[in-house]
Amino acid sequence: MKKDIALFSSNRFYLLITVIGLVFYVGVYFVLPSQMDEKLSLAMYAPVVPPAFSQLTEHEGVDIKYFTDEESLKKAVLNGDYQVAIVLPPDIMDTWAAGGKPGISVYYASSAPLEMNAAIVALVKELSYAQTGQALNFETTEEILGPDMLGNQIALRDRMRPLLAVFILLVEILTLASLIAVEIEQGTARALLVTPLRVSDLFIAKGVLGIGLALGQSILFMELVGGFSYQPLIILITLIIGSVMVVGMGFLVASLARDVTAVTGWGMLVLILFAVPGFGAAIPGLISDWARVIPSYYLTDTVSRVANYGAGWGDIGTNLAVLAGFTAVVIWAGMATLRRRYQ
Amino acid sequence: MNLKRIWTLIRTEVFHGPKDVVLVMAVVIPVLLALFVNLAFGDIFTDRAKLGVYDTGDSPLTEKLVSSESMRVITYHNEADLKAATAGGAVDMGIVLPADFDTRLEANSVAFKVYIWGESQAKSREVISLALNDAVREMIGSVLPVNIESLPLGDKSSLPWSDRLLPLTVLMAVFFGGMMLPASSLIHEKQRRTLEALSVTPATISDIFTAKGVIGVVLAMIMGVLTLAISTSFGGSPLALVLVLALGAVLAAEIGLLAGAFIKDMNTLFAFWKFGGLLLFGPAFIFMFPQIPAWIGYIFPTYYVIKPVTDLSVLGVGFGSVAIYVAILIAIVIVVGLVVMNIIKRLSTQALRLNG
Repeated sequence: MKKDIALFSSNRFYLLITVIGLVFYVGVYFVLPSQMDEKLSLAMYAPVVPPAFSQLTEHEGVDIKYFTDEESLKKAVLNGDYQVAIVLPPDIMDTWAAGGKPGISVYYASSAPLEMNAAIVALVKELSYAQTGQALNFETTEEILGPDMLGNQIALRDRMRPLLAVFILLVEILTLASLIAVEIEQGTARALLVTPLRVSDLFIAKGVLGIGLALGQSILFMELVGGFSYQPLIILITLIIGSVMVVGMGFLVASLARDVTAVTGWGMLVLILFAVPGFGAAIPGLISDWARVIPSYYLTDTVSRVANYGAGWGDIGTNLAVLAGFTAVVIWAGMATLRRRYQ
Repeated sequence: MNLKRIWTLIRTEVFHGPKDVVLVMAVVIPVLLALFVNLAFGDIFTDRAKLGVYDTGDSPLTEKLVSSESMRVITYHNEADLKAATAGGAVDMGIVLPADFDTRLEANSVAFKVYIWGESQAKSREVISLALNDAVREMIGSVLPVNIESLPLGDKSSLPWSDRLLPLTVLMAVFFGGMMLPASSLIHEKQRRTLEALSVTPATISDIFTAKGVIGVVLAMIMGVLTLAISTSFGGSPLALVLVLALGAVLAAEIGLLAGAFIKDMNTLFAFWKFGGLLLFGPAFIFMFPQIPAWIGYIFPTYYVIKPVTDLSVLGVGFGSVAIYVAILIAIVIVVGLVVMNIIKRLSTQALRLNG
């Protein structure tokens, strides 16, 4: 194991990129928005505010700021402070009272998404209908699916946290498989086996190094990004199982590949496939139930549910059981196939 | 430098060179990435509200909702699918329109079932309600009591995520093939000591480097154009776009040759790729997140590849608007080219043998 650590640390470049990589992942986390802006932000200039429009401030999904003149409102839109703004005419109430149609201007930043303008136009229409006594009455039966997170949304960076943590683990498939492939390519593995060292000792040494590298980095990352705030023990156990899984995958990839280049090729394919469930955690609705056939789903889902939703043992017990089962299979398969390569 | 020898080396490399994972990855990964971005990311990262509709009858409301600009509407064929999609966050809200919806609407007693995804944002819920009201009012022929005028301010335009991800896919396509292929080919030669065999032929190191560089440039060009074709992003100046891609491909091949000259094994090359990827793909993040100050991009050499590519392909500007970036890119290509030439001069066959 000392030899493997020396092999890893003697390559200063490898060591450097491992550190830089970790800094990069932490940096990505902190660059992403820390809060979710879940309200429609809009500016309004209204010398006279009709009662229906004044109720806007009570809408849950709207954040409104009143301006004292039209020019400063337009300037705020141009500066990017607001994407959309409404300007009501001073005689709006009189016009309605006289049976006329007042003109309302909706200013929108040309960089704003099209749907933003359409949404505000629909809002103005609805308020105008309400003001003129034409409110619609729907009878709806509402059912909220999952916890209602209104006002307590998960920030994008927290959604990304499981993906980044799992990605750090998965990259170690490449590192471990590369180290093994180099030994096979250079014949040092066979040379080691003519010493009193047994194949099982070799696996233990490489396994401990792989687990140490993967687990150390993922723990450090989760610690830095606050991933241990809820149920740290569950997160830790999940990361340990995940680390063992990537070691097994590393053994498997190394045993299947002919050389370091092939290791990277196969390793990248495995990495991309195993990273897919992470995107599902970051972007809800992106992937459907088919992602459950990818074993890393149970790793990502567990980290996501515990770190972001405060899930407990009862909620993620099945996930951990599936993950542990797959890990046992993959570590056995990896050792069996790699043993054949060594011998 | 002898053109005939270079051509012979290129033919040998193409027909008898290693067809390894690097080549497969250089061809397959950019295509997969471009397909994935276009199929999946076209509508993912938008803040656009998503409504699911299961229409048990055949109400014209569904069609009106689908045509709404303020939200995206997905129709479902049964309530279970709608509920599952809402629970999973595929839609923010799901509505079940009863078979007698139109009849009840005429009688002014509208009733339907609504599923709300617990994590949907307040603004999405608001927008969907507004769009729903708007569509219903359109059906019942309400007369709008105001005249609304929509006026754009500013001259910037918004970009969907598929366009924001275009720089990343193009950079991957151009730089993976253009850089990795010459680099891995040189390293293979050094590891298998075939460069020594070449040294007894009339071919010079300059010929060898040029041949490998040309292959990298051609592959990078093909992959860059293919990626843009998949993304249907050729803009109004395709020739200018091809010119920029060609310059980008040359830059990629130059970096690849430098890497191949100094790196002695594939392991270190991939480590270099992992680290260098951060520098190469840095500008792609600037395009993804407009909140990041644009000046940060100026420090990355690949910015001068991707900025004109994006402006030409996505914004559809003319060559004149990107000429300054192209000029800087040409300067970078020349400087890196001079460095490569200097390295070639310094590298004797003996030096390469020692490196191997």
